[in-house]
Amino acid sequence: MSISDIYREEILDHAKNPRNQGKLSEFDFEYKENNPVCGDTITLQIKLDEQKQIKEIAFTGGGCTVSQAAASMLFESVKGKTMKEIEKLSSQDVLDIMGIETLTPSRMKCALLSLEALKKGIIK
Amino acid sequence: MLDIKKVKKDFPILNQKMNDQRLVYLDNAATTQKPKMVIETITEFYEKYNANTHRGIYQLSEKATFLYEEAREKVRIFIGAEKTEEIIFTRGTTESINLVAYSWGRKNIEAGDEILLTEMEHHSNIVPWQLLAKEKGAILKFIPVDKEGKLNLDNIDQYFTKKTKLLALIHVSNVLGVVNPIKEIIAKAHMNNVPVLLDGAQSIPHMSVNVKEMDCDFFAFSGHKMLAPTGTGVLYAREDILEKMPPFQSGGSMIKEVTMENTQFEDLPIKFEAGTMPIAQVVGLGAAIDYLNSVGMEEIWKHEQEIVNYALNQVRTIDGVTVYGPKEKIERSGVVSFTIDGVHPHDIASILDEAGVAIRAGHHCAQPLLRALGTEATARASFYLYNDQKDVDQLVEAVNKAIKILK
Repeated sequence: MSISDIYREEILDHAKNPRNQGKLSEFDFEYKENNPVCGDTITLQIKLDEQKQIKEIAFTGGGCTVSQAAASMLFESVKGKTMKEIEKLSSQDVLDIMGIETLTPSRMKCALLSLEALKKGIIK
Repeated sequence: MLDIKKVKKDFPILNQKMNDQRLVYLDNAATTQKPKMVIETITEFYEKYNANTHRGIYQLSEKATFLYEEAREKVRIFIGAEKTEEIIFTRGTTESINLVAYSWGRKNIEAGDEILLTEMEHHSNIVPWQLLAKEKGAILKFIPVDKEGKLNLDNIDQYFTKKTKLLALIHVSNVLGVVNPIKEIIAKAHMNNVPVLLDGAQSIPHMSVNVKEMDCDFFAFSGHKMLAPTGTGVLYAREDILEKMPPFQSGGSMIKEVTMENTQFEDLPIKFEAGTMPIAQVVGLGAAIDYLNSVGMEEIWKHEQEIVNYALNQVRTIDGVTVYGPKEKIERSGVVSFTIDGVHPHDIASILDEAGVAIRAGHHCAQPLLRALGTEATARASFYLYNDQKDVDQLVEAVNKAIKILK
């Protein structure tokens, strides 16, 4: 885990100005997940289109740079994806989307909070 | 004066690099490092004396029993208890408190009774009482903290009612280092006929503690926060209280005679030590006490005061940093909790780690206290006898680096 790798400009920008942050006026489902290590929570709302693909996605909840940037970058990338495609997403995919090689196990939990919320929200 | 160079050398783990930097360990409120003397004691026990205690009719077992009981005597003297019967070995503070909640609590707490806690508690002194209260239909009440994190003790009498059965509170805050005025609080509780359980996890490693002088009824602490191995802890309680308490865990060791229908329990303290205990680790706790005594608790307290005041002065002046806890000069152990405006404490901890500085970030198992302070998480540096001003300098440098990267 390299600090300059994690705290590079692109990540910091996503963390400070997360895309898709806020609430949707209409949504098909909502899910709340928290990270017991730090108490960070994320609540996400999803609106699907007629083909059951993600049309709109929005989230609220504060957190560290890693969890905020992960939510911002992951949710940007899942628009237009089907439920099946979402279910297939792995932790490696999240790292790839963020352009980070590795994270320590504790910081990995921060990065995966948004993916867990997304997957559990869809199953629910 | 404490010879810091010599002390540092006694801790082998500190003599290593972390990310090419000198390792600075500042998470001592979570657990402490072990001196060579403790590590060697454990090795020696396994190489020369290992056997189960109290039951073996052979010399090895008798030697193991002697060393185990010798550690109990060391603990007794260290905390100023009257009898070794009053020293119960446990797995740590959490288990000590659970023992009291399960055994004493189930016997003495009834529906409608009140258990008095404070907003400053570690979760380990909240959750066992919540479970007990739910089971019994009892009520939890909390003495609040003020905005700075000091217990609000004006009109403390109002918290004691005829229904109050126990006051359980923290001696020294694991988040803020605030030392509570325990003697006054205990005296007030006793005037109201309320026994007091003291969570001493953050006090006994750092200051001279005497359970008789404080006059507490229960005192719970962990070995691993005072240089001893993990898996060791102690519950002190007055003998007359322990005598009336039913067993906590049961099974081997803690019995005199078992028939198919009934069991006669062992005398104190073994009645509360079911199964094979962490024998080598308890012997290690004895060695840790020897080490602390050789340095001197007064010297340790004085040294930590120097370090924490140096750290508070440095960290408080960094632009954008908020330090939690009372601003006035009060009794405070070696803990500095802080945040950087607009920065999550986890990010601080990651960047500090890269700089070789190990601190804790999060809610420190005290969410009610953090909420009362108006935050969800802090970064926490906690010091011990082996930390020096150079460690603080490395911390401050790393905090400045974190600000540069993140703001």
